[in-house]
Amino acid sequence: MTLVEKILAKKAGKKVVRPDQIVEVSVDRAMIHDALGAHTIARFRELGVEKVWDPTRMIVVLDHYVPNKDIDTAKKCLNIKKFVLEQGIENYYEVGKGGIAHQVLVEKGHVLPGTTLVAVDSHTTTSGVMGAFATGIGVDEMAVVFKAGKLWERVPGTIRINVEGKLKPPLMSKDLMLLILKKLGISGALFKSLQYTGSAIKRMSIASRMVLTNMAIESGATNGIIEPDWKTLEFLKSRTGQPFAVIRSDPQAEYVETLEFQTDDIREPMVAVPPRPSNAVGVTEVEGTKVNQAFIGSCTNGRLEDLRMAARILKGRKVDRFTKVIVIPASQEVLKGALAEGLIATFVEAGAVVGPPTCGPCMEAHMGILGPGEVCISSANRNFQGRVGDVTAKIYLASPATVAASALKGRISDPREFF
Amino acid sequence: MELRGRVWKFGKDVDTDELFAGRFMMGGDETNQSQYQDFVARSGLSDVGHRNNVPRDFLAKVRKGDVIVAGENFGIGSSRQQAAETLKFKGVQAVVADSIHRIFFRNFWNLGCPAIDFAGISAEFETGHEIMINLRQGTIRNLTAGREFGFRLIIPSWFIDMVEAGGLIPYHRSLRNVKSKKKSAR
Repeated sequence: MTLVEKILAKKAGKKVVRPDQIVEVSVDRAMIHDALGAHTIARFRELGVEKVWDPTRMIVVLDHYVPNKDIDTAKKCLNIKKFVLEQGIENYYEVGKGGIAHQVLVEKGHVLPGTTLVAVDSHTTTSGVMGAFATGIGVDEMAVVFKAGKLWERVPGTIRINVEGKLKPPLMSKDLMLLILKKLGISGALFKSLQYTGSAIKRMSIASRMVLTNMAIESGATNGIIEPDWKTLEFLKSRTGQPFAVIRSDPQAEYVETLEFQTDDIREPMVAVPPRPSNAVGVTEVEGTKVNQAFIGSCTNGRLEDLRMAARILKGRKVDRFTKVIVIPASQEVLKGALAEGLIATFVEAGAVVGPPTCGPCMEAHMGILGPGEVCISSANRNFQGRVGDVTAKIYLASPATVAASALKGRISDPREFF
Repeated sequence: MELRGRVWKFGKDVDTDELFAGRFMMGGDETNQSQYQDFVARSGLSDVGHRNNVPRDFLAKVRKGDVIVAGENFGIGSSRQQAAETLKFKGVQAVVADSIHRIFFRNFWNLGCPAIDFAGISAEFETGHEIMINLRQGTIRNLTAGREFGFRLIIPSWFIDMVEAGGLIPYHRSLRNVKSKKKSAR
């Protein structure tokens, strides 16, 4: 069996599972955030159950609408806080204590290899970077998870994405992922799992790998996953005291398909043109497109290495005077690192605004909303029509390097020019 | 279990931002069901005029019991349950599409509304056709064209019972009642 099949078999109490089999698995971790948390709680109350199945397995993070933007969102957060107190949930991250949920889950050691995680968010796939089964669900299902700690799943067959080679800066794992999505399309992995393997993945930092698992959902995948290696264990060492067993794919595991990539296939930085993450082209094809906003952040690309790359390009330069440049570290921990390394000063000097660790303008939630006809180049994960504001606004997705270069010119630009 | 309704033919790639834009996710008071339902019903597909995969008169003319038949990639994107809720609250009782993305698929079923993924089915229907779906038999009939198609769903065995109970939450409430009745019988 493949890695994901082995995890699901273990959690379903079965010796063997097959792709497309329906299984019921135990849930090791469940996360809600402020975008759908109050909704989940309201549905949980309708179940007529008093207590959640296990408060120690629950994580609550406020990241979409904080600091609260209006009375409606403040009320949602108050409902969530009341629930946290009432249920005795210890893992609660108020604004200023955590950051973007997917980052917090991994960074705080909540996700362990070989475990299962569900959350009310499609980008829950991010946590598969730890060798866990992590996937998104809706609020009614989460209410039932709160009650019973179980989830049904259609076992996803595994598509192996094997990548050989070494990414040369300013190329980043985002460029690779956009190329992978171009190949797969928006439904290429529907009801399947993406498992990333190969020397290029082994060479990557955990942060770079998280880009790949984060955007697995953009191919329709149930989850994205990477087998734990020494880097994973090293990463977890200082973050968790809990024991875990590393699960690996069997040598004779059967993959639905194997797609082979070489890092040399990425001939230039990639940009996904609106309105799909799978619409990748080389940056030179869209170079010169005017942008009104440049966003560096999100659960896809708001980590320290992303900010380092952006700062390297922005250092000693000024961003375009008419372009809104927004930098948002993915978490308090990332912000602390960026402060210590002087990256925040670089951004401020360059004329960017630095926001508090939240989701920011990845979606139409809080700050950075686009007006009619505006164009944003973003390091986030989704460029659907109307995702970040007006339905006539356009979103281009790219790496933090490409976004930073574009911020300087106010036009989509090739980061190699500034590197 | 049999459903019968009037068809709205949608195109492909209907995503969750189209079904329910992010700006409305902050509104609606989940603790007040009727207010919430009104709000979510009203706020869905708000920018539909800017896209070409939904019939222009859908919002004005959709009524209770209607069925959407769509092309591939229905419900791509976010886990926001409002994307499924808004269709239900507008009156849509089932979605049949060439392919349906995972989270939307689960969300719509959980509301007690079947989501049927069936490659190629969209070519068999036009807006205004009458559709009949038999969930237990696994058949879809186009009553207007007089054609029948067999489908096979990959769903848990209790899913149709859940639909009959009115959705996941009512289904779990009923399980609980059965259990407590058993207890008190002892």
